[in-house]
Amino acid sequence: MKVPLSWLRELVPVQESAEALARTMSVRGFAVEGIEYDVESSPHSTSNARAGVPETTGPDPVIDFEVTANRPDCMSMIGIAREVAVAYGLPLLPPGRPPAVPGLSTDDRGAGAGQALQSVFSDGSPQAGPATPLEIIIEDADLCPRYVGAVADVTIGSSPDWMQARLRAAGIRPISNIVDVTNYVLLEMGHPMHAFDLPKLAGAQIHVRTARPDEMLKTLDGQSRALSPEMLVIADAERAVAVAGVMGGADSEVTSSTKAIVLESAYFNPVSVRRTSKTLGLKTEASMRFERGADPALPVDAMRRAVALIELIGAGRGRGAVVDRYPKLIEPRMLRLRRSRIGALLGASVPDADVLRILGGLGFALQDADDGWEITVPTRRVDTVREVDLIEEVARHYGFDRLPVTFPALTSAPPPVDPTIVRARQLRAVLTAAGFSEAVTFGFMSEPAAIPFVSTGDLVPIANPLSENFAVLRPSVLPGLIDALAHNRRREQRDIRLFEIGARFTRSDGERRAVACAWTGMAAPEHWSGSGRLVDFFDIKSVVERVCEAVGVQVRTEPSSQAWLTPGQRADVLANEARVGVVGQLTTTLADSHGLPSSDSVYVAEIDLETLEQIAAGRVVRVTPLPRYPSVTRDISVVIENSVTAAEIRRTIQDIARALLVRISEFDRYQGKGIPEGRVSLSLHLTFRSSDRTLTDEEVQATMDLIIAALKDRHRAVQR
Amino acid sequence: MSDLSVIEALRADFRARLATAGTDRDLKTLDDQFLSRRSGSVTALLKQIATVPAGERRQFGQLVNALKTEIEAALEERRAAVEAAHAPAGAMDVTLASREIPIGRIHPLMRVRQQVEDIFSHMGYEILEGPEVEDDYHNFEALNMPPDHPARDMQDTLYLGVPIVGGTWGAHGGTLPAAQVRAATLLRTHTSAMQIRYMKTFPPPIRIIVPGRVYRRDNLDLSHTPMFQQFEGLVVGHGVTLADLKGTFEAMLRQLFGDVKVRLRPSFFPYTEPSAEVDISCQSCAGSGCGTCKHTGWLEILGSGMVHPAVFEAVGYDPEQVTGFAFGMGMERVAMLKYGVDDIRLFYENDLRFLEQFPL
Repeated sequence: MKVPLSWLRELVPVQESAEALARTMSVRGFAVEGIEYDVESSPHSTSNARAGVPETTGPDPVIDFEVTANRPDCMSMIGIAREVAVAYGLPLLPPGRPPAVPGLSTDDRGAGAGQALQSVFSDGSPQAGPATPLEIIIEDADLCPRYVGAVADVTIGSSPDWMQARLRAAGIRPISNIVDVTNYVLLEMGHPMHAFDLPKLAGAQIHVRTARPDEMLKTLDGQSRALSPEMLVIADAERAVAVAGVMGGADSEVTSSTKAIVLESAYFNPVSVRRTSKTLGLKTEASMRFERGADPALPVDAMRRAVALIELIGAGRGRGAVVDRYPKLIEPRMLRLRRSRIGALLGASVPDADVLRILGGLGFALQDADDGWEITVPTRRVDTVREVDLIEEVARHYGFDRLPVTFPALTSAPPPVDPTIVRARQLRAVLTAAGFSEAVTFGFMSEPAAIPFVSTGDLVPIANPLSENFAVLRPSVLPGLIDALAHNRRREQRDIRLFEIGARFTRSDGERRAVACAWTGMAAPEHWSGSGRLVDFFDIKSVVERVCEAVGVQVRTEPSSQAWLTPGQRADVLANEARVGVVGQLTTTLADSHGLPSSDSVYVAEIDLETLEQIAAGRVVRVTPLPRYPSVTRDISVVIENSVTAAEIRRTIQDIARALLVRISEFDRYQGKGIPEGRVSLSLHLTFRSSDRTLTDEEVQATMDLIIAALKDRHRAVQR
Repeated sequence: MSDLSVIEALRADFRARLATAGTDRDLKTLDDQFLSRRSGSVTALLKQIATVPAGERRQFGQLVNALKTEIEAALEERRAAVEAAHAPAGAMDVTLASREIPIGRIHPLMRVRQQVEDIFSHMGYEILEGPEVEDDYHNFEALNMPPDHPARDMQDTLYLGVPIVGGTWGAHGGTLPAAQVRAATLLRTHTSAMQIRYMKTFPPPIRIIVPGRVYRRDNLDLSHTPMFQQFEGLVVGHGVTLADLKGTFEAMLRQLFGDVKVRLRPSFFPYTEPSAEVDISCQSCAGSGCGTCKHTGWLEILGSGMVHPAVFEAVGYDPEQVTGFAFGMGMERVAMLKYGVDDIRLFYENDLRFLEQFPL
């Protein structure tokens, strides 16, 4: 809300500089986006200039206040002025006093409307007048509780300079005297108005009704709009001439040749305006106010002000009576405010005098009650529906800075930390120690990038994505991580290790947490003492093992068939019999699709943390006594067929040696000279130990013999 | 007295010989020649002391001893130099580059997150995560934002094309009450959704912190991302006040940012009343006004307020019996202020040249 200081000072005699005002109001709930200096709207002597406000020279400051969505009553000069008045303890002054307006018909008005509420005009009583030339028929009182109309004879021209300057300073383009007056009232009082070219209507009849099926309307912006039956329109006897509360129609637009107008000042249902505005994708100064909630008490005052301004600037004269249809009276809300509740919520008691000063100044009517006050809420305050809303008003103007500083009492034992958070920290420690830096990537991605990782039918699409790049939820943490790797690769980085911990999403499994790693470049960095070593499968496999170990699970790998990993360089990660993840080298096709050079070998892994944690659940750390007897290590070399895996050999050895075998590790794998084609020599260290005696050579040898026999038997292994 | 000139001659002789002594062996020879107990020339002079007239004996003794000390020091110094020049086998140029042990960095947003978790943990808060995909009820409706509420425009939402099952939460994921299992239809726009889940599961008192990712339908630019990280905080109990909120933030923000001033500004959120934005004094200009703080001297750091009674009613708490405060803070904002980052996109590019600027 752009507020020229000179305009504000017409309504409240505040002497402060714009900067000081901005500081004060920002701690009263009106943050300031900025202060501009407008040369044109500087104070000048207009018919509206008020005595007592000092004329300043130089550019007029325009303060841009941020008005929160709950305060449509402050989307106006008077609204802001009322807040300033309370903040500084100053009176709120009426705007330039309008001359008398031709009569106001009282038929069909809700009893007391416009009277119970504080009017900004001192002479706001309705007057009887001559018969109206205007007929108003409200067909849907729920969507239009009140409609005020008036006819005026006009001569279209420009509005005076002072009015144009004020509109421009507040961010609205001047158009013509009549349109400018409606916009001036909008800015001054916050009430949206509209003017129709009377001769272009089918008679002096206003119908407020919902749109007919297939009804079309060309709006002021020149667009043809298809209306639907839940939208409220203003119509003449034949057709729609405006989308109620949103935008007028082009056919009844006020033009330079307009001679007579119908002025509209209405109150429309906020939800209806909001839906219509959203459906049409049409947001206007009017719709923004109506959808947040205009003041149902204001239409008559706004109409009187508009007619008065038209006459004041010589743009025309009102003809006949102002017609006020108010079939669905909106009563002011009554609320109880308890003194004790103020203290209970704020942590400090506020003196009664301050409560009265603040709420009274804001236009609330207070009556003493046993434990506080009975309060009448002005209809413009759509935000004030419960006691707590009143307490906020008190706190806001009493000053948050005057509240004491205390600390909430701890009344129960602090609960334990979420294990997933502990887990994430543990994984960060392990992975950073393994040389991996943590990445954070987006939870959504493009569909083509997601497809290799999951079947298309399992992807979760986003219904309203901003772009193709964010079309589906990520089914895997890896694509984003590979993108991050590629980003670094394009920026002169060759050795890259990244990991991420986060959620991934599929239709079948929903949201699951995973950890993923990606590694390219050197495993052992280059050093002057000798050349480095490039990363290979067994480096990333080790990372996977460490990660799972951190969660407390021993895993093994088995050949995998993941299509996005290179055959022969890919494995499923298994714990017990459950698949907990995958590890391997990216195919060059996939790497290429992320913009990685074809010469790069990229190794990746992804582990499902929830499966892993389920397996680890209930694990307790218990130490076993240290061994009391020495161990014996024997080496064994066997020649086996290529197709026999190390895991199979290990399993057989463990199967035979049972508890005596405490450690088994491969130390050599050899193919070539001396080994037949299609076969491989595998050498292992076997360490034996007993917990209750020193093993004898004979015992160990007997076990070794059994192992060799079993390897020969089961795998056709030949000892070397 | 000729004996004193003998001392000077001896010194000159030593200096001349030392100048050409380049090896350990040369130095050993010099040592023997001048200082040997049996045949050293300086030793010999000391032995002559009895023949010096009594009146000069004292001065003579001092001079010879000074010469002896001088020769010993000179030999020692030269020995060290010789040793340094002829490194032993296996010696290294210790100034050469070390062999790198690669250690990765924790992401700056996660550094901030861990720090905030720790601060609140020490204040007795439970730290827990919640699902990233949510339903309308938990994300909006129960937070006093019924359908058609204008405040929904403040958070432009990304909806899912098909409903899916949301993630588990806290240590309680396995025992989620049936009433809370709803198919998720949107990406949560704030971590506040967890307020509802938690309060529907546990009675007061409550003090929790929920860190996590949230999503908005925003384009990527200098200060916006369609996904960002938030902390939700919720404290509920008997007699919790706005003054408690003030005290909590002052303590937390000073731990996080050092010696800053903290102020509350009235604001609007549908799920709190009264609502407040919390500002810290600008550290770049010490509050006097600069570009960083848009010349206000203050930096907005989080949104907060007293839990709206409608929210308590939605979860079955009695707002006459309990009060509470809630807040939400963006991790990016904190990290940008703490580390002087001026482009939010840096956090999501994961450029190692950026990540490696943060300490291990």
